[in-house]
Amino acid sequence: MQRFLAKRAVSSAVSLILLVIAVFFLSRLTGDPTDLYLPVDASAEARENFRVLHGLDQPLIWQFLDYLRDLVRLDFGDSIRRARPALEVVTEAFAWTLQLALITMAIVSGAAITLGALAAFNLGGIFDRIATFFSLIGASAPDFWVAIVAITVFSVGLGWLPTSGTGTVWHWILPVSVLFIRPFGLILQVVRGSMITALGSPYVKTARAKGAGPRAVIFVHALRNAMLPVLTVIGDQAAALLNGAVVVETIFGFPGVGKLMIDSILQRDFSVVLAAIMVTAFAIFVMNILIDLAYAALDPRIRY
Amino acid sequence: MSDLHPVSGSRRDPGAPGPLLRLLKMLWADKPATCAALFLLLVVLCAVFGPMLLDAVASKQNLRGRNAPPFDLSQPWVMWLGGDQLGRPLLARIVTAASNTMAIATGAVLASMTIGTALGLAAGWSRGRLGQAIPRLADVIMSFPSLLLAVIVLYMLEPSVGNIILVLAITRIPVYLRTARAEVLEVRERMFVQAAIVMGASVPRIVFRHILPVILPTLVTIATLDFAFVMLAESALSFLGIGIQPPEVTWGLMVAQGRPYLTTAWGLSFWPGLAIILTTLSLNLLSNWMRIALDPAQRWRLETGGKKNG
Amino acid sequence: MDMRIALLCGAAVSCLGLPAFAADTDVTIVLNEELETLEPCMASQSNIGRVLLQNISETMTELDPANGELMPRLATSWEETDDATWRFHLREGVAFSDGSAFDAEDVKHSIERTLSDQLTCEIGAKYFGGMTITPTVVDAHTIDISSDPAQPILPLLMSTLTIVPAEAPMEFTRDPVGTGPYELTEYNVGQDIILARRDGYWGDAPAVTKATYVFRSDDAVRAAMVQTGEADIAPLISQTDATNKATDFAYPNSETTYLRIDSNIPPLDDIRVRQALNMAVDREAFLGTLIPEDAQIATHMTVPSTLGADEDLAVPAYDPEGAKKLLEEAKADGVPVDTEILLLGRLGNFPNVTEVMEALQAMFADAGFNVKLQMVEVAEWIKYYSKPFAAGETPALVQAMHDNNRGDPVFSMYFKYACEGLQSGICDEELDADIAAATGTPGDGRAEAWRKAFARAHDLSADVFLFHMVGFSRVSERLDFTPTIATNSELQLSQIGFK
Repeated sequence: MQRFLAKRAVSSAVSLILLVIAVFFLSRLTGDPTDLYLPVDASAEARENFRVLHGLDQPLIWQFLDYLRDLVRLDFGDSIRRARPALEVVTEAFAWTLQLALITMAIVSGAAITLGALAAFNLGGIFDRIATFFSLIGASAPDFWVAIVAITVFSVGLGWLPTSGTGTVWHWILPVSVLFIRPFGLILQVVRGSMITALGSPYVKTARAKGAGPRAVIFVHALRNAMLPVLTVIGDQAAALLNGAVVVETIFGFPGVGKLMIDSILQRDFSVVLAAIMVTAFAIFVMNILIDLAYAALDPRIRY
Repeated sequence: MSDLHPVSGSRRDPGAPGPLLRLLKMLWADKPATCAALFLLLVVLCAVFGPMLLDAVASKQNLRGRNAPPFDLSQPWVMWLGGDQLGRPLLARIVTAASNTMAIATGAVLASMTIGTALGLAAGWSRGRLGQAIPRLADVIMSFPSLLLAVIVLYMLEPSVGNIILVLAITRIPVYLRTARAEVLEVRERMFVQAAIVMGASVPRIVFRHILPVILPTLVTIATLDFAFVMLAESALSFLGIGIQPPEVTWGLMVAQGRPYLTTAWGLSFWPGLAIILTTLSLNLLSNWMRIALDPAQRWRLETGGKKNG
Repeated sequence: MDMRIALLCGAAVSCLGLPAFAADTDVTIVLNEELETLEPCMASQSNIGRVLLQNISETMTELDPANGELMPRLATSWEETDDATWRFHLREGVAFSDGSAFDAEDVKHSIERTLSDQLTCEIGAKYFGGMTITPTVVDAHTIDISSDPAQPILPLLMSTLTIVPAEAPMEFTRDPVGTGPYELTEYNVGQDIILARRDGYWGDAPAVTKATYVFRSDDAVRAAMVQTGEADIAPLISQTDATNKATDFAYPNSETTYLRIDSNIPPLDDIRVRQALNMAVDREAFLGTLIPEDAQIATHMTVPSTLGADEDLAVPAYDPEGAKKLLEEAKADGVPVDTEILLLGRLGNFPNVTEVMEALQAMFADAGFNVKLQMVEVAEWIKYYSKPFAAGETPALVQAMHDNNRGDPVFSMYFKYACEGLQSGICDEELDADIAAATGTPGDGRAEAWRKAFARAHDLSADVFLFHMVGFSRVSERLDFTPTIATNSELQLSQIGFK
C-alpha cells in the first residue's frame, strides 16, 4: 500500500508537470491578453507598454522559465485582470466549488446507489420503470432550464427560497438540487445496469441457494460486486463538478472555480488559468488515488 | 463458455434470419423499447433526408412573425411547433438540425468510447509501465478543462462539425478508459479468464473474446447517457461562441439561442431540448433492453412475453 | 434533533428576516459581473464605474447627461490660459475618506498615476492616448494643466479622470479612497461589496445610507431578484425580461451598432456597392422585434446628444430592388460584385446579436449579395476590427458597437474614419481634413465642424449604420430613481431617493 502510494505520488507529480507544460504553451497559442485588456482605441505605444509590463514581449521559452522559477517558490504569478495573486483568486473560488461538489456528490451517491439497486431488484416492475424514466429525463434535460424553472417556481412564484446567492442554508438548496439531477440519473443507470448483471451472476445465485434473504443478497453480495464501475462513474462526475459547475455558478451567483476558469480562458488571463488547473488537477488526482484504493478494498483480488 | 458471451456468439452468422427474427420478437416483447427503436429510426431518417427536403423552408426568415406560438394548426405543418426568434418554422429546423446533431453526438460518443475502451483494456490488462501510464493520461485529460481545449482547437482550426467532434471526443475519453480499466482489473481475476490463460489463449483473444463482452454493457449504458451530455456540451460551446455557429444549426445551438426566451417564448428552447431528451431516453431504453436481450441469464424475461416481470 | 430544528429555524429567520433588519434607506444593487478590481483609474469600465464613480471617487468636472453640459464637481471653475493650457480652481474644504484634505497635489498625482506606464489604467488608455498632459501646481487650490497637442475639450476629459489622494501607491488598490459621499466598508470577493455613507462629505448628504452590490451573470435572475425584493436596482436586464411598466425602464445607453465596411477592398471600394448594402437593410423590421422598439435608427457614429450629431441625415431607404439595380450597374462597370463578402459578428456583443446578424445576412442575400456570416468571440473579433485587419484581402463587413458617452465626437471620429484610425475602413482626404479641423476647433464653431465630418462620412456610405441602442433597468417601486444615458457607466447613489 505504501509502495503503491509512493509510486502514484511520483507518477501523479509527473502528470501534473506535463499538464502545466501543455497548458502553458497551448493556452498561449490562443493569443495574448493585450487587445482584450486595453480599450480598442488604445495606442500602439500603450499596447507595447502593456506587453513589457506583463512580460508578454519576451520569447515564450523565457516566459516559461520565469514562470517555473516563480512556481518553485510557490508563486503562481498575478492575475492580469484582477491585479492580485492568481493562487489567492483560485483558492477563494475553489473553496466554494469543493463544498458544492462534496455536498452534491454525497447526496447523489447515497440516493442513486440505493434507488438504482432497488430498481434492478425490481427489474421491469413499476418502481424500476418510474425510476428509470425520471432519472433519464433529469440526466438529459438542459441544466439551465431546470435552474430557471426552479427559480421561477420556488423563488418568484412561491417565495419559499431565495433566487440566488450564498448567504444561508436556504441559498444552497436550489443549486445543489440542480447539480444533483444529472449525476443522479447517470449513476442510477450504471448502478441498475451492473446490479442486473451481478444479480444474474453465478455467485449471487449461489448465495441465494445458500438461503440468504433478498435484502442480504442485494446489499452484501451483488452491490459489492457492482460497485467497481459505479465508483468510476462517481469519480467522473465528481471530477466534472470539481472542474466547476459553470451553469449553476452563473445562474445562482456562486463564486466557484468553473466560471472563473471560463472567464480567465476567454480573457487570456493565463496565470489564473494555470493556477486553477493545478488546484483542480491536484484535487482530481487525489480523488483518483482514493478511488483506486477503494477498488482494492472492494475486491481483494485486485492488485496494482 | 460461448454461452457466457452471446455477443460473439450471435456474430457468427449475422445473415441468418433466425436470430434476427428472435431479436425482433424480443424487442416487441418490450413495448417501451419498441417505441424507442421507432423514434430513433425517425431521428435517423430526419438526419439523412431532413436537410435535403426542408433546408429552404427551415431557413426562411420572417422577422415580423417571430416567436409564433405553437399548436396553431391553421398554419402549414412546419409551423405547428411555432416559429423561432427569426420567424423560421421550429419543426422544420428541428428536422434539419437532426443531421448535424446526430453527426456530432454519434461521432464524439463512438470515438471516445472506442479509444477510451481500447486504452482502458490495455491499462487494465498490463501490469507493467503501460498499466501505470495510461491511467495518468486519463488523469491529465480529466483535469484539462474541456473549454480550454475547445478554445485552443477551435481558435486555431475553424469550428466545423469535425473539429467539434474532436474536442468533445477527447474530453469524454477518461470515463470509458477508467471504467474499462477498473472492470478489467476485476474480470481478469475471474475463473474463466484464468482458465483461458492457463489453456494458452492469446492475449488479444482473451481480451476481446472473454473480457470485452463482460464489460461492454456498462460502457454502453454510459455511452447512451453520454449522448445527452455531448449534445448539451455542444450547446454550451455554441453559447460561448466556439461551437457550431449560424447558419449551421444543431439542437444544442437552438437550445442555447432559445435561452433568453425561456420565460416569454418557451417553445424556442423547449422543443429542441425535448428532442435531446427523447433521443437520450430512447437510446437508453434500447440499451437497457439490449442488456437483457444479450444476457443469457436474463433473456427469459423477454422470451416469456415480458408479462412476468420481476 | 432539537438542536437541528433550532438551527434550521435560525437559518430560516436569518434568511427570511433579512430585509426586516435592513434599514429602509439601504439599497441592494445587482450587477451583471463581479468586479475584477476596485481601482479608481479603471472606473471607465461599466461595473467598476457603477460602484466607484461619484460614489467613492469623484472627478474634477461632471457631464450633465440631460444637456451635455459640463458641471463643476471637485473643480469649481476653469478657464483657458493659453492655447494648450487650462487653469482649474479647486473646491476648498474637501476631505478624502481617509481624512486627508484634498488639494492640487492630489490632482497632480491622480493625473500622473492614471497616465503612468507603471500601471495600465483604462481611463488613461481610453481618453488620454496620443497626448502628453503636464499638470503644474499653482497653489493649494489652483492647478494648470497643459496638453500637447492642444485639447480644446480638456475640461471634458477631466470628467473621466478619477481623483485619488497624493499618497495612493503606484499599484492597483483594493481599498479605494476618494472624496465622494460613500466609503467602502466591506469587500467579500465573489459575494458582495458594501458602501456606507460617510460623514464629512463636502456636499449634501444623500438619502441612501448603505449600498450593497451583488453579482449575478444571468439576466433572468437579476430581473427576478428585484421582483422578489432581494435587490432594489438591476441596472441591466434583458429586453425580454423588461415586461413590467411599473419597474422596468428603457434608457439610451450611448452605444451605436453598425457594420464597418472595409472600403479599400473590391467590390466594397465602389460607392454603389456600399449604397446597395445600406439599401438592403430593412431597419424598421428590427425595431420591436430583435432590437427594442425604443432604440433609434442611426445615421451617425455617436448618439444624437453628442456635439454635432443632432442633424437629420437621411436613413437609407429599404429598397432591395434598388440595391440590385445598383449592383448590376457596378457589375457592368467591371466591379467584382459576386465576390464572397465576409460578414463578421461579435458574439454576445449585445442582446440578440447572433439573430440580428443572421437576419442581416438574409437581407443582403435577398438584395443579391454573396455574404458569408461568421460569429466569433471577442479575442478573434478584435483582430478583424482593429488594424491590421485580419480579413486581409477578403472584403469584410465587421459588426461593432461603439460607445461614446462623453458628449464629444472626438472620441469616435478619428478612430473610426481617419486614414490612420485604428478601426477605420475608409481613407478619404476630405474626411480626414474635416476630422482634423473639428478636433482643433474650440467653442461655438465646434458643433458645426463636426456636422461637416458626419455629413461627409454619410455621403461616402462609409458604414452600414444600424441603431442607437437602449438598455433596460429594473428599479424597485420603493425607490425614486430613473435611469438615464449615464446608467451605462455610473450609478450615483446620491441620485436615488425613496418614495
